[in-house]
Amino acid sequence: MLRSANVEKPVGQRIARGLSIRSKLLLLVLALLLIPWMGYYYAQELKQFLLKGQEEALLLTARGIATVLHDRTELFDPATGVPELVGEERSSFVNRLSQNIRLDGDDKDWITDSYKSVLFNGLGATQCSVNYDPDSFSYRHTFGYRGANLFALFHVWDETLVYRDLNFRRLDNSDHIRVVLQNPQQPLQHYLVTARRPGRMSVYRVDDNWRYPLTGDPVYDITAVMSDRADGYTVELRIPRHLMKRETRIGFSVVDVDNEATREVERTIAAMPTGSEDSLSRIMILSPELVKILEGLNRPVARIWILDTDQHVRAVVGEMTGQPGAYNVSQRAPLRAWLVSVFDPVLDLFFATPESDFMDVPLDVGERQGEIFTRVLAGESQAQRRPSIDGRAEILMAAFPIFSGERVLGAVLVEQSSNEILALQQIALKNLTIATILVFVFVATAMLLFASNLTLRIARLRTSTELAITPEGRVQDNNIPVATSTHDEVGDLSRSITNMLKRLSQYTRYLEAMPDTLAHELSNPLNVVNSSLENLEIEIPDSRNSKYMARAKNGIVRLRSILTSLTEAANLEDALQTEEQEKFDFVELVTGCVDGYKVSNPDRKFDLDIIHSPLLVLGSADHLAQMLDKLADNAVDFSDPDTTILVRLQRANDKIALSITNEGPLLPEAMKDRLFDPMISVGKKKADKSHLGLGLFITRLITQYHKGEVSAANKGGGSGVEITITLPLAT
Amino acid sequence: MQKIIAIVEDDPDQRDNYSDALITYGYQVETFSSKPEALECFHKRLPDLAILDIMLNDEMDGGFDICRELRMLSPNLPIIFLTARDSDIDRVSGLRLDAWDYLTKPVNLQFLAVRVNSLFRIAQAIKQQSAGAAKNNQLQIGDLLLDSDSMSIKWQGQDMNMTLTEFWIVEALAHVPGIVKTYADLMQVTRQSYVEKNTINGYVRRIRKKFKELDGDFSNIKTVFGIGYRWQAGEQS
Repeated sequence: MLRSANVEKPVGQRIARGLSIRSKLLLLVLALLLIPWMGYYYAQELKQFLLKGQEEALLLTARGIATVLHDRTELFDPATGVPELVGEERSSFVNRLSQNIRLDGDDKDWITDSYKSVLFNGLGATQCSVNYDPDSFSYRHTFGYRGANLFALFHVWDETLVYRDLNFRRLDNSDHIRVVLQNPQQPLQHYLVTARRPGRMSVYRVDDNWRYPLTGDPVYDITAVMSDRADGYTVELRIPRHLMKRETRIGFSVVDVDNEATREVERTIAAMPTGSEDSLSRIMILSPELVKILEGLNRPVARIWILDTDQHVRAVVGEMTGQPGAYNVSQRAPLRAWLVSVFDPVLDLFFATPESDFMDVPLDVGERQGEIFTRVLAGESQAQRRPSIDGRAEILMAAFPIFSGERVLGAVLVEQSSNEILALQQIALKNLTIATILVFVFVATAMLLFASNLTLRIARLRTSTELAITPEGRVQDNNIPVATSTHDEVGDLSRSITNMLKRLSQYTRYLEAMPDTLAHELSNPLNVVNSSLENLEIEIPDSRNSKYMARAKNGIVRLRSILTSLTEAANLEDALQTEEQEKFDFVELVTGCVDGYKVSNPDRKFDLDIIHSPLLVLGSADHLAQMLDKLADNAVDFSDPDTTILVRLQRANDKIALSITNEGPLLPEAMKDRLFDPMISVGKKKADKSHLGLGLFITRLITQYHKGEVSAANKGGGSGVEITITLPLAT
Repeated sequence: MQKIIAIVEDDPDQRDNYSDALITYGYQVETFSSKPEALECFHKRLPDLAILDIMLNDEMDGGFDICRELRMLSPNLPIIFLTARDSDIDRVSGLRLDAWDYLTKPVNLQFLAVRVNSLFRIAQAIKQQSAGAAKNNQLQIGDLLLDSDSMSIKWQGQDMNMTLTEFWIVEALAHVPGIVKTYADLMQVTRQSYVEKNTINGYVRRIRKKFKELDGDFSNIKTVFGIGYRWQAGEQS
């Protein structure tokens, strides 16, 4: 039986310190927040993967187109190309005209393409005089191709129309249109288109100064028809494509002559105000047959280019800009739709929706010098990404060479924006975020519940473990009820605590039974010694007078005394259970006992100090006397001969207080609390007395039985020990 | 005629020591070391007195079993328990089986002989009483009637079942009513080798209990705290 009073306190404190299991688990739950991070990286990977896939798809497309075009050398014949005008840099291509053009000077045929027309006037133009009035001279110009011909429409506003006068050999002295063609590495070809009257116009090749025809014969390849209007005139112009070579440049300008007398050139307004070379625009040769083929292969939101070996564009189909497949909310389950609608506004703050209206323009020649072209024209398939011109989207490019046998004819380039994939990625990220939030809330709640339950169970286990052992260290309940039925670790713990308590109580019982068993086992051999000595006395009568016989018998008496005290405590506990209580005067008992002590201890002085009398007590007189005996023995044992032992009896707060004070050695501080535990003995031992430390333990047992308390303290003067018993007063 | 004393004790040393001593005092002794051995013999022939140890080898209550058997064979056979077991429970169980005395080890052999002698005298007296002999050694003190021959006590005319030790204590107290018998005196009276105050208290407690079973108002044995006990004669005497 160990006192556990000093073990008890830290238990409560241990839990208060540090984090509780609940907080720890919740901290762990925070780790779930790594999911969105992980998801983000996953989405990035996915995006790369999808882009890769898209690239592959584009490459396949490019390859497919290339396969269609393999060995179609005729499509790349420079002669088959129709020159197409590229106006200003960064402007769109001029497309095929949607209607057949009849050269009749009537612009009805152009109505469907009129949106392509561009207004030109002299404002800012170089060859106009300062007092230029846009109303006096300007024109609209449309340009396109149909079939094997290029067509141009000039809708000219002119206040005064001056026709050609055949009397003049110079050609530039009437209203006319100038056409410049330039084939690479060749001098410019100047064509002048003029009219004597509305109707068919005359076309001449003229010198560099636009004055005289080179030959007297007009040019019949280029045809133009004019019709006059009240506010000007209209010219339709047709140029057959055989005049065009690859990389042919073309330029138009309209010249105004207002004075029939002087026939001076008033203004020249170029239709293609280009930057660098001679006011001429580039011509791109576009193969209509290629375009036809490609249109069959047209993909949404993709642009297909066909290039020839000189990196010249032969055909372009498709538009890159367009809406990526919109994510349709209504297709989802109502709950998910609701969730998305709840979270979307918040999430939109974090995720940029990919742009669908980015701007991109055809590749310029300079840009077409890139590695991708060099390599694809060297016969390798290529894939590459580039940002759009305005940087708002990423564009995937895939290129595949077109072969004719071993020779590279050209290349297919397919372009597509990655916006669709980006949109998918954003949606995936949003869904992931929503899912993470939900999972987080769910898991956190579950963890909280789990942790609370666990904490509760552990706390209950702790409580019942603490309650299972009395402060005196006695096991009072060796079955821990908490969760012994559950099969997890806490259940295991409570089961093992139960086992531990069982073993502890077995051990305690063993320890408690030990003195009794020991006494019983020893008393038999003691009896052998005792009876043998007695028989010896009978057998050898002289031995009776031997001092050794006397000592042997004295030893037996002492042994017997030890055995009695060993069993006394155990027997006492049994006896107290069956004891009947009676009411009697405690003063009388103490007086009688002290008288007895005076007789049995003549070498000590017993002072009895009774302050209140009578003091009735309810209990067992025999056992209280036994208790007094123990206290008296103790006082005698720890005091020197001829000292005084003071016994004081008084009433204090409805209680009887009995104190027995002896002069002698002080108690060690550490032993004060344990003094009344069994087998505890302090101070110097006297050789002729047994000190099993059971006397004060018996005192405690008896006081406890009488619902009293016992305590020990060093006397104020520092020269003795005072043991105080309090007992309840009987009413 | 020599009285036959049966000793049942599993420890050979103690058994032989008892036997030697009792033979010295002129008794015939039969010794047994186990329950079956003893019972086999008792069924053939009863001893005049039996001294029994309670624990025999591995039988915890072997002595009690023998006592029960003997009591069935003879209601008046003096039986003494001589044991190391010192608890109240054992004492009570022993006496409930009508044992005549209960002694704890170590025992003084001289006292043992005295007891044996006393028990034979009691047995003799009982035999004579049942034969209708005169009762000459009786002492009446109030409600108490002491018979020194049969060592029996009657309270208010009723027979009381006392052990030898208990009889001696009551006799010692009642012989001198009003006078305190100290613990020391009473220790002598018990005729045991080692007696403590507690042992005396225990005896007195059991004696009082027996009286109270007959007479709830019994209060003739007074405690003089710390010193001893005295017999308080009833007011009516």
